[in-house]
Amino acid sequence: MSHAVEIRDLHYRAGKTFEIRDLAVNVPTGSMYGFLGPNGSGKTTTIRLMLGLLRPIKGTITVLGGAVPRESPRILARTGYVPEQPHLYTSLTISEALAFHAAFYPTWDWKWANELLGQFQLRRDQGLARLSKGEMGKLEMLLALAQRPELLVLDEPTDGLDPVVRRDVLTALLDYVSQHNATVFISSHLIHELERICDWVGVMDRGRLVTELPMHSFKSGIKRLRVEHAPALPGDTPFVLLAREGGNGSLETWTVRGWQAPMRQYFEGVGASLREIVDLDLEEGFVELLRTFREPTIGA
Amino acid sequence: MFRQLLYTQWKWSRLVLLIICLASFALPLLSVQGVRPDDLGRFDIEQMLAGIQTWGLLYPILAAAAALILAMTTWGPDHRGKHIYALSLPIPRWHYALLRFGAGCVLLAAPVVAVWLGALVASAATRLPAGLEAYPTILAMRFALAALVAYAAFFAISAGTNRTAGIVLGVIGGLVVVQMILLVADTNINLVGPFMLQLFVWPGPLEIFTGRWMLIDV
Repeated sequence: MSHAVEIRDLHYRAGKTFEIRDLAVNVPTGSMYGFLGPNGSGKTTTIRLMLGLLRPIKGTITVLGGAVPRESPRILARTGYVPEQPHLYTSLTISEALAFHAAFYPTWDWKWANELLGQFQLRRDQGLARLSKGEMGKLEMLLALAQRPELLVLDEPTDGLDPVVRRDVLTALLDYVSQHNATVFISSHLIHELERICDWVGVMDRGRLVTELPMHSFKSGIKRLRVEHAPALPGDTPFVLLAREGGNGSLETWTVRGWQAPMRQYFEGVGASLREIVDLDLEEGFVELLRTFREPTIGA
Repeated sequence: MFRQLLYTQWKWSRLVLLIICLASFALPLLSVQGVRPDDLGRFDIEQMLAGIQTWGLLYPILAAAAALILAMTTWGPDHRGKHIYALSLPIPRWHYALLRFGAGCVLLAAPVVAVWLGALVASAATRLPAGLEAYPTILAMRFALAALVAYAAFFAISAGTNRTAGIVLGVIGGLVVVQMILLVADTNINLVGPFMLQLFVWPGPLEIFTGRWMLIDV
């Protein structure tokens, strides 16, 4: 499998309190990669490192086959970027912002940019300073898409947008990806949004990658189990025990990852009985994952 | 690419640039207001030249002000956006800075042309006493060079972070304060003097700002 983005052993420090340590990320070419994490976990910093906007202390970053930051201009010419905060020059009109942006990208598609303008209901003569948050979000997406990128790096692109605008933006994104087989790296803390569109997911917390796996594995493997007469020491479990909580009487609740039906036999082997299996939705699984990452002894 | 950068810079600075251009055009005209060639004796001519010289002090100040304002407006919007947009554009950082610098230089041409036109009009409208000459083009060229030197310095300072600018200004301010304390303490130590000599005496980079800025001279 080839990777549009490969990060190895990345280390970066900002101030005394925040650092990214031993980060390794692999984004398969052509995938929609959801980059999940709570606020302040290091998603935006990782994206900025990935694009060469920040310089790491150590580690290697390869994007679209080129080394960052040495080949950043070449990489950025093939990458559409929507940052977390609007970054455009607010003194310009939409028309001027398009002309400015287009001048830097040889693959810029004016025809499509004009179509997107109509689709997003943006007026050319609107000043950027007067755009609403939703309109600015649509313009940022338009600029990223109309340069016909091979890789789209979207940093919380729909954060704070109303559902209608969010749908417009995501529809345009999915249309583009389906037509051009581009790779999308999208960071968000809106888990359900990523659940719908992503086929890979990476979870980050406190500057470290918690897990990276296909979305279907992430979604299907996390369960909540009701266990009766659970052993004090679970021993070698065939699944990953994320958390265990005592309930009423002898009944305990276990949160596990990597669950498969034949693993029921484990409980018979340790003298326990499995009373119920509850599917967790992605958000619950995500919360449990972070909880065990932050308190790794909880399941022991 | 350059055209777009030039356009943005023009848009950010056009109002203030207009004011600077008006001032640049008016300054040569104002400097020759007192010139009346009839019945001028040698003493009157010397007085007249002294008056022009006094007005001439404003040329380097105007050049520095124009440069400072253009440098600030050049980087202001990028600073506000924490340079994210500029850094995410697919060109090397040095290239982007060079384009911004070039665009600022082009805009700086407007006050230079305004000084030149003002000086040409002032020269044409003034009957000069015998023995005196007008130097509108040389004055404009000198103004251009001073503005360019100041722009380069202010551009470099503005390109950095607020912290960098603060350090530069802090060092300058600290030197001045220390020198004042030394003066009050009646010591013979001169800290600022050697720096000033290095900067303002040929071949110092700021030498262009010194001397006589005369539209009309012998």
